[in-house]
Formats: sequence, structure tokens, C-alpha cells
Amino acid sequence: MQHIIEMVGVSKIYPGGCAALKDINVKIGKGEFVFLVGPTGAGKSTFLKLLFREELPTRGQIFINGKNITRLKPKEVPYLRRRLGVVFQDFRLLPQKTVYENVAFAMEVIEASPREIRRRVPKVIEMVGLSHKMNSRPHELSGGEQQRAALARALVNNPDVIIADEPTGNLDPDTSWEIMKLLDEINKKGTTLIVATHAKELVDAMKKRVLQLEDGRLVRDEERGVYCCET
Amino acid sequence: MKLRTIRYFFREAFVNLFRNGWMSLASIGAVASALIIFGSFLMISINFDYIAKNVESQVEITAYVEDSVDKLKINQIEYNIKSIDGVKEVVFVSKEQALEEFKKQVGEELLEGIENPLPNSFRVKVETPQEVAGVAERIQKIDGIEEVKYGKGVVEKLFKITYWMRLVGLAVMAIFAAISVFIISNTIKITVFSRRREISIMKYIGATDWFVRWPFLIEGMLLGFTGSLIAIALLATGYSYLYDMVKMNVPMISLLPIEEFYDYSLGLLLMGTVLGAFGSGFSIRKFLRV
Ligand SMILES: Nc1ncnc2c1ncn2[C@@H]1O[C@H](COP(=O)(O)OP(=O)(O)OP(=O)(O)O)[C@@H](O)[C@H]1O
Ligand SMILES: [Mg+2]
Repeated sequence: MQHIIEMVGVSKIYPGGCAALKDINVKIGKGEFVFLVGPTGAGKSTFLKLLFREELPTRGQIFINGKNITRLKPKEVPYLRRRLGVVFQDFRLLPQKTVYENVAFAMEVIEASPREIRRRVPKVIEMVGLSHKMNSRPHELSGGEQQRAALARALVNNPDVIIADEPTGNLDPDTSWEIMKLLDEINKKGTTLIVATHAKELVDAMKKRVLQLEDGRLVRDEERGVYCCET
Repeated sequence: MKLRTIRYFFREAFVNLFRNGWMSLASIGAVASALIIFGSFLMISINFDYIAKNVESQVEITAYVEDSVDKLKINQIEYNIKSIDGVKEVVFVSKEQALEEFKKQVGEELLEGIENPLPNSFRVKVETPQEVAGVAERIQKIDGIEEVKYGKGVVEKLFKITYWMRLVGLAVMAIFAAISVFIISNTIKITVFSRRREISIMKYIGATDWFVRWPFLIEGMLLGFTGSLIAIALLATGYSYLYDMVKMNVPMISLLPIEEFYDYSLGLLLMGTVLGAFGSGFSIRKFLRV
């Protein structure tokens, strides 16, 4: 299997001295669905931030599609990010734009043609089940709906990888389950998924690969794993 | 860059201009006031310069010719003066002409029957007023010249004054240019700061720095442009008023004509626009580093 993401001896020490990740070695194949679990402060968000260059590793190399992203020039970073769809825990939708505009914006940013935008955006919004709220602004949406809008935006440019940080963070169990099913569908269409989460039941039920971080170390890497084995 | 992207930049700039209406007004106000202050000092300094040039151009040398010198020698002397470096214009004033002028000044009757006591002379103008002393000295050395006058001391003092006027004018202008840049970049920083989240989101979904930057640059330029238009309108009104006032009340001073102000206003417009672009480019820099 070809590896889309590879971390080699990656450590991250924040400027304050906090060692968030310690010597991480991991390979993720194309089309995999990976859960990233671990207690709060274990380094999950840091792990994800390293992938889309919000942070740079202190030591080690990170390869995406075989390209070493720790060596990218600032000018090249936007083109890395275009191949990754990120769903942020706080959604990061533009408050003044409607759902449609928010999703379309991700395409405008990469200078897609208006025709393509008009064709693709409604399709993606329908896919996440938000067609009826297409013209609402983020503050008029529930948490779950905002999550879907953020997901639609991450999806719209057909990224190779979707990175989601606690996509079910503040959602009730039913909505969380729907979001997970959605992610699974997306994964089945060939997109690689990396999902950081605390949702034990969901992880246990989905039977996907689980990476467990604890205090910055990768302590478990299990195919068809569960949230936690000890407790 | 695609045409629709450029359209997007302008649309975005205009939308943001109106969306942050109050902030935009504040920025325009800041640009306008900075440029009014700057423009006022510019006009003051330009007028200093203009007046100084006027006064300087009136400086001339009078060279008196010895009485014993004949017509032929006088032509020789004129040629000699003309060939001195820096001499612009030489006018011969004969004894008779001098007497005529003198009569006009003091009255015909007073001088009736008196033998003409005035000498032949040359009035010499120089290219640059600062050369007056040097030229005078060289004229003095010419054979047949009795005396040279050019307001020694007074001229030097005048040059010292105009020199300092220019220097102070330049310094004040530089200071106010710096203050203008500061105000503009700070006002736009407020606009940019209020939208830092938007900027970081754009960066995270793969926008290039220039894609983020352009709308802000255009917004800044529009702010600067509008602000300087207002400043120019007010300055022009104020200046033409001042011009008329001075013309009526202090006729011996002539200010720079109002038409020439319009040449400078084009410069102000350009400056306001460029300052706006610089201000926004400057304030957005930090927020692009995500
Ligand atoms: N920008 C930062 N500067 C300094 N320290 C940081 C920074 N971001 C995170 N940390 C520290 O790094 C460690 C790992 O943080 P991280 O956000 O990766 O944890 P997490 O696993 O995502 O936790 P949670 O489940 O609560 O989201 C924590 O101890 C945190 O305090
Ligand atoms: Mg986190």
C-alpha cells in the first residue's frame, strides 16, 4: 500500500518548553480511516496541526504524498493545504457568508471557474445534508449544522486527505453518529481520513485503525481498534 | 492571475469598505487630516521657496565705470563682464539714462542747470543668486571699473534666511509624511485586526498570501485616494482664499499661483493612494504568517 502520510522521528516542543509530541513514527496509507485518541493534552491536535503546517515539528520529517513538508517554502504551503481538507473543532466558518458562500469561497480561493463552483457547491452541500440551510449564515445554524458546513467546505475541492479535529466535540450522540457515518461514506469514496476524537462509543463501533497518544507518545497502533483497552 | 480573480479582489475591497463603514470613514478622515496637515506645510514651504526665489532674482550688481573711459573701452568692458562665468544679463546704463531716472525720482526742477554728476554703469544679473559675491569681485578687477555695489551683507543675510526656510520646510514635510504613514497604517491595522480571523481562515483553506493581500491593498488604496481627494478639495479652497487675501492686503508679496497648486495636488493624490497601499500592506504582514 502506498503511504500518503509518513512521520519519521517527529517531536514537537512548543516555545514554552512543553513537549507535545515525542518521537512519533507512523505511516498512513492511501484511503485509510484513522482515529487519533488519547486523553486531553496528549498531543492529538498538535499531531494534526503538523500535517497542514499550522505548526512545524521541532525534530523529524513529515512526508505527504512522498513530499517532505517540513522543507516547504512559505510560498508552497497554500498548495499543500489545498490537498488537505481540514475540519476545525471550532468550524472556522466565515460569519458574514452563507453556507453556500462559505463552501464556494474555498473554491474561489483556488481560482476555480464560476461554472464549476455553481455545479459543485450544491452537490457537496447536499452530500452533507444541508441543502435546506444553504442560504443561512453560521450563527443561524446549530452546532451539528455548522459541523456539516465545515465538512462541506473541507470536501469541496476533492482533497486527498480529510483531517478532522474532534468533529463531534459538542454534539449529541445521534448527531455525532450521523457525522461519523458521513465521514465513513467519504472514506469509502477513496479519501483518506484522520479524525481526532474523544468519542469512545463511536470509535468502538466503527472498528477502524486507532492511534493512541499519551503524553506525546504513540502508545498504541491497532487495526480495527477500540477507544481504550485498559479502562 | 485570472480576470475573475481581479474582479473578486475589487468586489471584496468595495464590500469590505462598506461593511466596515465607520472604520472606513475613520480611515478616510485620518488620511484626509494627515494630508491636510502635510499639504499645508507643503504649501507653506513651497511658497517660502517661491518668495525666496523672487527676492533672490531681484538681487543685481551695479558696476560703475570710471569717467575717463571712452566708448570703445566701454564696449570692451561689457564684453569682459559678459564672459565671466555665471553672468546672465548685462545692461549698460549711460550717464544720461541714469540722470533721467534720477530726475524722475527726485523731480526735474531740482537738478536744473547742474552738470551730470552720475557715472556710466552696468547692471549685471547672475544665473544663481549665490554667485553674486564672486561675480562682483571679478567685475571689480576689470580695468576701467571704479566701483561695484551689490548690497554686500544684505544679500548674504537674505541667502541665510532663505536657506533656513527651505531646510525647516523640508524637515517639517518629512516629519508629517512619517506621521501620515503612521496614522494610515494604524487605522488600516484596526480594519485588518478586526478581520484577522477571516485572514487566518483563508490561509488555512489554501489561499496564497497575494490572494489575501490584494483586496486589502485595494481597500487601502481606495481609502487613501478618497482621503486625499477630500484633503485636496479643502486645501484648494483654503489656499485660493489665502491667495486672494494676501493679494489684496499685502500686494508686495506674491504667492505661488493657484494653478501651480493643482500640479502638487496630483502628487498628493498619488501619495495618499500609495500611503494607503503601504499602510494596509504593512499591517497585514503579521496576520499572513499562519
Ligand atoms: N501553541 C501552544 N503553545 C504551547 N503549548 C501548547 C500549544 N498548543 C498546545 N500546547 C501544549 O501541548 C500539549 C498537547 O496539546 P494538544 O492540543 O495537542 O492536545 P490534545 O491531545 O489535542 O488535547 P485535547 O484533547 O484537549 O484537545 C498540551 O500540554 C498543551 O498545553
Ligand atoms: Mg485538541
